[in-house]
Amino acid sequence: MTEKVKNRLEFLLDGGYRKTRADGGVNLTSALNEFNPAMRSAQLFKAALDAEEPVLYGEDLFGFNRFNRLLPVDDTLNAPYIFEMGNITVDYETVLETGIEGLKKLAQQKYEGADEEAKRFYDALFVTFDACARIVEKYRTAAQKAGCEKLYNALSAVPLHGARDYYEALVTVHFLQYALRLNNVNHVTIGRFDQYMYPYYLASVKNGASREELLELTELFFISLNFDTDLYTGMQQGDNGQSMVLGGCDEEGNPSFNELSEMCLTASEELKIIDPKINLRVNKNTPLSVYERGTRLTKQGLGFPQYSNDDVVIDALVDWGYDLKDARNYTVAACWEFIVPRCGADIPNIGVMNFPLVVDRAVRKHLASSANFDEFLAYVGREIADECDSIIEDCNKFRTPYSVFTSGFILHCIEKGRDVSQGGAEYNNFGVHGAGISNAADALAAIKKLIFEKKELSCAQLIAALDADFNGYGELRRKLLECPKMGNNDDYVDELGTFLIDKFALFLNKRPNNRGGIYRAGTGSAMEYVLSAAKVGATADGRRAGQAYGSSFSPSLDAVIQGPLSAVQSFTKADLKKVCNGGPFTIEIHDTVFRNSEGEKKTAALIKTFIDLGGHQIQINAVNRDRLIDAQKHPEKYPNLIVRVWGWSGYFRELDTCYQDHIIRRTEFTF
Amino acid sequence: MSKVFSIEEFATFDGPGIRMTVFLKGCPLDCVWCHNPEGKSPLTEYVRSPNGCLKCGACERAGIKTADGVKLTADSVNACPRNLVRKCGIDYSPRELTDKIMKNAAVLNLNGGGVTFSGGEPLFDTDFLCECIKLLKGKVHVAVQTSGFAPEKNFQRVLELADYFLYDLKIMNPSDHKKYCGADNALILNNYRTLAKSKVPFVTRIPLIPTVTDTVENLTAIASFVKENNVNYVETLPYNKLAGSKYALVLKEYHPGFDESRPVNTGEKLFASMGVTARKM
Repeated sequence: MTEKVKNRLEFLLDGGYRKTRADGGVNLTSALNEFNPAMRSAQLFKAALDAEEPVLYGEDLFGFNRFNRLLPVDDTLNAPYIFEMGNITVDYETVLETGIEGLKKLAQQKYEGADEEAKRFYDALFVTFDACARIVEKYRTAAQKAGCEKLYNALSAVPLHGARDYYEALVTVHFLQYALRLNNVNHVTIGRFDQYMYPYYLASVKNGASREELLELTELFFISLNFDTDLYTGMQQGDNGQSMVLGGCDEEGNPSFNELSEMCLTASEELKIIDPKINLRVNKNTPLSVYERGTRLTKQGLGFPQYSNDDVVIDALVDWGYDLKDARNYTVAACWEFIVPRCGADIPNIGVMNFPLVVDRAVRKHLASSANFDEFLAYVGREIADECDSIIEDCNKFRTPYSVFTSGFILHCIEKGRDVSQGGAEYNNFGVHGAGISNAADALAAIKKLIFEKKELSCAQLIAALDADFNGYGELRRKLLECPKMGNNDDYVDELGTFLIDKFALFLNKRPNNRGGIYRAGTGSAMEYVLSAAKVGATADGRRAGQAYGSSFSPSLDAVIQGPLSAVQSFTKADLKKVCNGGPFTIEIHDTVFRNSEGEKKTAALIKTFIDLGGHQIQINAVNRDRLIDAQKHPEKYPNLIVRVWGWSGYFRELDTCYQDHIIRRTEFTF
Repeated sequence: MSKVFSIEEFATFDGPGIRMTVFLKGCPLDCVWCHNPEGKSPLTEYVRSPNGCLKCGACERAGIKTADGVKLTADSVNACPRNLVRKCGIDYSPRELTDKIMKNAAVLNLNGGGVTFSGGEPLFDTDFLCECIKLLKGKVHVAVQTSGFAPEKNFQRVLELADYFLYDLKIMNPSDHKKYCGADNALILNNYRTLAKSKVPFVTRIPLIPTVTDTVENLTAIASFVKENNVNYVETLPYNKLAGSKYALVLKEYHPGFDESRPVNTGEKLFASMGVTARKM
């Protein structure tokens, strides 16, 4: 990394620049009451933008840093059943090509002959575009004054007009990140950066830019994405949606991993900062070398890249009614949900199927009366159906607020003259997470084994033990924990996991929502593996009350897992095309495995194996210092954390404290 | 029947491709730097994880007193309030063990990997090892990670069956070998010559133990020995201070009898000067 990048990174990590921000946060609720809903949204955005003053850090290449800590407030956005418009990948392609002026021109052309609703939408849109022009001009003046010559020159063109080279295109994308967040969108994804930026990258190459210059620019751009992320908190710091998707295939299905994809991986590897979050699209034709390249990034311990399998995801999206070209273009929302860029406005995280809770309900209502396990399982299926009904009933109450400025960057909204909240986008589907699948499958396996096969346990005893949170039932809990667990390639329990997935998909997928879209089932847990789990009592898998579930599509925390080979096989048995709302199989590998190229190659092969077996998404973590420190304090939370040292391995929890300290020191993290 | 103390599914340093490694209990040597003390005895043991231990003594009260100190028992497992005591050494028949391996065969074959038998010393129970390899023959690639300390007849039997060897060379001087590893090295060197003459692929591995194996004298002797056997590539395993970390498990203290803190001599130049490529693992 160059000196310039190094200095910029130090400046970011120091964080001192945050102290100079103003407060903002003025409440405009009553002042906005005079406007129609579209104009109300536009005026709120205009107020946010007009309250901003230029903030330039040194020789700033991108500008558009936040001046106010808080946005103006409209209390109507906090009403019940209002869902944030976010988790979208906007149409970067068009704005890069035509600039905001191009979008404005299109709206002007459509204005004549448009219906009243469309005219209200266009009028509001013009307000937001004019506000953009004002802040751009403010920055242009400030850049000139501050001697930021490059930025000054760029702002004469972008983002109001089309970009001519890589640098100008970066300024446009950076501007959109800034402006969309001022429009109350917390999760703006970066999307297929290596695809939509590639023409501009090539233009710069043609103009004589060297690889070093372009890498430096890319790195400075990545750093710029991190300056204000402390203000973009979702559920927690870092949950800001800046996902970048690399590789995969183009709209025609041809491989599209290119020089820029490679450069982004290099930049992320060198910088070791949390944004952008890298996703790598792979498929059956992806060579092992691409996985090896990705693994070198995994080694940094940041938890990315996250891999997704084109062969599974594209088919799944097409089955859900997405156009093949859109499906081939898929991106990843803030976490792992598969969405389509440019023209999609899905809400992929609107609800959650809490599997362990549903199984527990079946235990309490139907276990005593079930003559055999199959009968009980049928009741579980019925409970899943009922839960899907109730999720759908609840989620259909949600609506999204008008989001006029955002709509300007979603394909077809301008043509149709409709805000994204009013059906302006092409896709308006809802995604539902599936939390705690492993815990639920493990619970079913324990019931099958101990109650119906071995007949060692009665329904009443089980319920009494669950109600007592196993206090006084230590022996029973041990027996439950010894039953087959998902993750050990044991059909006995894996088939029960498949049953849960199939039923969830059967009763949820393709059912209509309230926006003309459908429902999609997934395997993600988001924060639910902690939040939902906290409210659920002890469960028949041996899990104690309130204890977290396994994260997304992973073994439960109590399960003793033979190893990653068994785990990848367990978690690829179900037809994952049915649950392609997303949610990664997650695996933690100690970073000592990556000590030499041998370990890197083998980790790459392991990931490829999961994909080749039909896995939909995988996140692989090189375990880092924080996690190890936590593991030292709470060994029970990390039963399967393996530490590889020299030619041997041991369970981290089994090492003496002084050796744990040694390992922790050695894995010291820079961020 | 033989006892397995660990089965690892993602062994990244135990041979080509993604490998499963099976650790068999029982070893005739007694190396002072051994990092798998629970692999030495061929018998089942009960081991205690030191972390989270309340030092309440319940496990030891449920154990039995021997001349060597307290031995934990099956009762200790139930006695521990934190569930820190576990059984180490599970009985497997060759069929049971190979069935378990075969469950992963497709995935192992997908990556040019296989299974590695390690230990302990996998040749300690040669009958068991041969039975296992016969059951796996032609279905999955089998490697054997060995000290080479086994009767020639036994070694020959395994050599005829296994696909690959990871073979340790530790100390060339016989009396030093006896001092640090508990036995003389004649069998080891002999079996190595046999292996080198065979057509079975193998890799030579040298643990670098400060002041014990990493001396110029010893490394020079190893280099000329492998050259004599037409070997020009070795892998070195530098000593890691974590070697002693599992002794608390078996209620023992680790006193290796050499200066652990001294940096090891990796001998790359020395090997290179003698025409041997040494790769540090």
